Amino acid sequence: MMFWRFVLRAVELRKKRLLLAFSALAVAATLATALFSIYSDIERKMRVEFRGYGANIIIAPEGGGETVPLAAVAEAERQGAVAAAFVYTVGRLGGEPVVVAGIDFQRAGPLTDYWRVEGARVAGSGECLVGSTVAAHFRLRAGQQAQLQDAPCAIRGIVSSGGPEDAQVLLPFAAAEKLAGLHDAASVVEVRADGERVTAVKAALVKALPGTDVRLLHAVAETEANVVLKIRSTLFLLTALILGITTLCVTGNFSALVLERSKEIGILKAIGAADRKIAALFLSESLILGLASAVTGYGLGLLVAWCIGRQIFPGSAGTGVGVNYGVFLPVAGVTLAVAMVATLAAAARIWRIRTAVILRGE
Amino acid sequence: MFLRFVSESIRRAPRRKAMTVAAVAMGAAVATAMLGVMLDIGDRVNRELRGLGANLIVTPRAASMPVEIGGISYRPVSREDYIPEDQLPKIKSTFWHLNITGFAPSLKAEAVMGGRKVPVEGVWFLRRLRGPDGAPLEAGLRTVNSAWKVDGQWVDDRARSDAALEAMPGSALARKLGVKPGDTVQLFGQPFLVRGILSTGGEEEDRIFVRLEVLQRLLHRPGQVDAVQVGALTKPEDEFARKDPARMTRAEYDRWYCTPYISSIAHQIEEALPMAVAKPIWRVADNEGKLLGKIRGLMLLVALAALASAGLTVWSVMATTVLERRAEIAVMQATGASNWMVMALFSAEVALEGAVGGLIGSWVGLLLAEWVGRSVFQTSLEIPAMLGPVVVAAAVIASVAGAAQPLRQALALDPAIMLREGQA
Repeated sequence: MMFWRFVLRAVELRKKRLLLAFSALAVAATLATALFSIYSDIERKMRVEFRGYGANIIIAPEGGGETVPLAAVAEAERQGAVAAAFVYTVGRLGGEPVVVAGIDFQRAGPLTDYWRVEGARVAGSGECLVGSTVAAHFRLRAGQQAQLQDAPCAIRGIVSSGGPEDAQVLLPFAAAEKLAGLHDAASVVEVRADGERVTAVKAALVKALPGTDVRLLHAVAETEANVVLKIRSTLFLLTALILGITTLCVTGNFSALVLERSKEIGILKAIGAADRKIAALFLSESLILGLASAVTGYGLGLLVAWCIGRQIFPGSAGTGVGVNYGVFLPVAGVTLAVAMVATLAAAARIWRIRTAVILRGE
Repeated sequence: MFLRFVSESIRRAPRRKAMTVAAVAMGAAVATAMLGVMLDIGDRVNRELRGLGANLIVTPRAASMPVEIGGISYRPVSREDYIPEDQLPKIKSTFWHLNITGFAPSLKAEAVMGGRKVPVEGVWFLRRLRGPDGAPLEAGLRTVNSAWKVDGQWVDDRARSDAALEAMPGSALARKLGVKPGDTVQLFGQPFLVRGILSTGGEEEDRIFVRLEVLQRLLHRPGQVDAVQVGALTKPEDEFARKDPARMTRAEYDRWYCTPYISSIAHQIEEALPMAVAKPIWRVADNEGKLLGKIRGLMLLVALAALASAGLTVWSVMATTVLERRAEIAVMQATGASNWMVMALFSAEVALEGAVGGLIGSWVGLLLAEWVGRSVFQTSLEIPAMLGPVVVAAAVIASVAGAAQPLRQALALDPAIMLREGQA
């Protein structure tokens, strides 16, 4: 008990001086928590961003066939992916041929985020969207009627994407299927699987859908994997760097704390205190400091990670944004370890010197 | 006198000085490394994102609406709508030509193979040519689509030759026809040697690619091109970029023109090729923009967090230094030094420590940033030369600022009291 009274009194008396060491360690703990939180979550966040690209797997007809069975969509969804069927045929508008695309607007929504649309993004029964090139060619606008042969429809929106949609009339899947004379089949099925599972999903689809050509879009899958890896590596290296440097700083700080009190150590030894007891004294002080910093740093670090997460990736689920609660143990552990080792090293240096030398003031 | 003051101070407590300088150096190293990486990472990631493919498509302005499914046209193509091949190098003469990483012209046709209609595309695979300023440049499919895989070999078309009958079918088509690299296929009544088979995962797999000049000769369309795919490094769109250029003021227009937004690069390509219209491929451009914006933002915030802690470190180290030397300050006051003199001497010494620490730290930081760049991106990062001096200056300012308040406090105290109490 006397031991703890000693320690606590020492901490109380040297509050101001200890504040500096505390803040150095707290800053290190804050940074560690924030950086680790972000690092552990960054992959997930970035893969979410890549979803905007749309499909990364295409299911196309194989062999002599021209169509893909609609069952492919259900199969892909069973694998946990987003999938939609598309059917293409040629229709007639104003006496001219025009490409008609049938789209399952509900399912295709997440795959076509990049469309720039004036008007509605979805067309219901008896409605359609037209691509910007088609609109310009036939001088059509939203709200007008498109006199598509066998399937006249009300134009709900104009789509501009820089891709094939610009030259198409987009009908709901059922209407286009009828025009094309198909039943329970699609021209192509587009699939979006999560980046880290894409090869597994592709393999599963190949097995489940013989008679179709399941293609992995190399450009998307590889670029995603590449960029995610590079960002993670950069963050990892930067984190290691910053932490290495702050550890050095903290070590210096804690060593200084002990070295300043060499006279005190000299006196303690002179009145007969055992080396181990002296060490225990200083270590306890460091322990208190270390715990206090770890807790403060953890709290502040989570706050920093949360703020950064909110700023950069808004709209992601609530508090899960960039915050990793599980970081506490490793951060606290490392923080305390650094504090203790530094203290012990410094103390060890001192008590090796002869008491008289210390008291004399060297 | 200042020199004597400083050298005496160093002589008396060399280890303490070294520790102070080391602490400043560490802060400066963190700041430099973070800033060095942060400033260039946007560019590096932008280049990686070019693996997604073309983000601009250039087509003849007069071209009528295409009626095309899977590369097969359902309406005869008008021969009057084309982009002249000899004008293509002008793409590299726009204001942002350095941002254009590649362009690939193509001419589309159809042939019958294995009893069905197959889209045929005449392209440059990897053509060497001279830019408008005479500098050598490379263009073609491979400069825009770096992620495409080949079973076999690419057609080597660095030099133009309209007699080289070589072809590269997509892998789905090759499977249907049962061809392998080295086989011969019949196109337009001529035998074409299959050099390699393209695997992309996209609709290219149902096509067969041949040399542009060969297809031009076979179709009697010399020097004509249907479309050009362009890949460019862009700056993410923001509110300003979405404004209509026709309605911008002169100053706004200049700013828009001089920023590599996808829309301004498209506009400049149209200026260089007046017979064409350039459109962004939003599937690629949109996502690049969003991703880049987020990554840059993230790096900035992380850098700020690190800078804050570096600044705090320097500040606290300097504050401690002053605290420890209060007895010295008291002695100086007692022997008649004016407050101003004490402030000046200490600030100068602290500034010197800051400068030395800053120099060492920024040099180490630059090395560390270089190391991160090499490890992750396998290239050197482009770090602005001003970074080092700026960090040194910041270190000096942080040091002097950190020492200022404790100095003022110490000077306000009665020297007799400070001397009597000994060490703080």
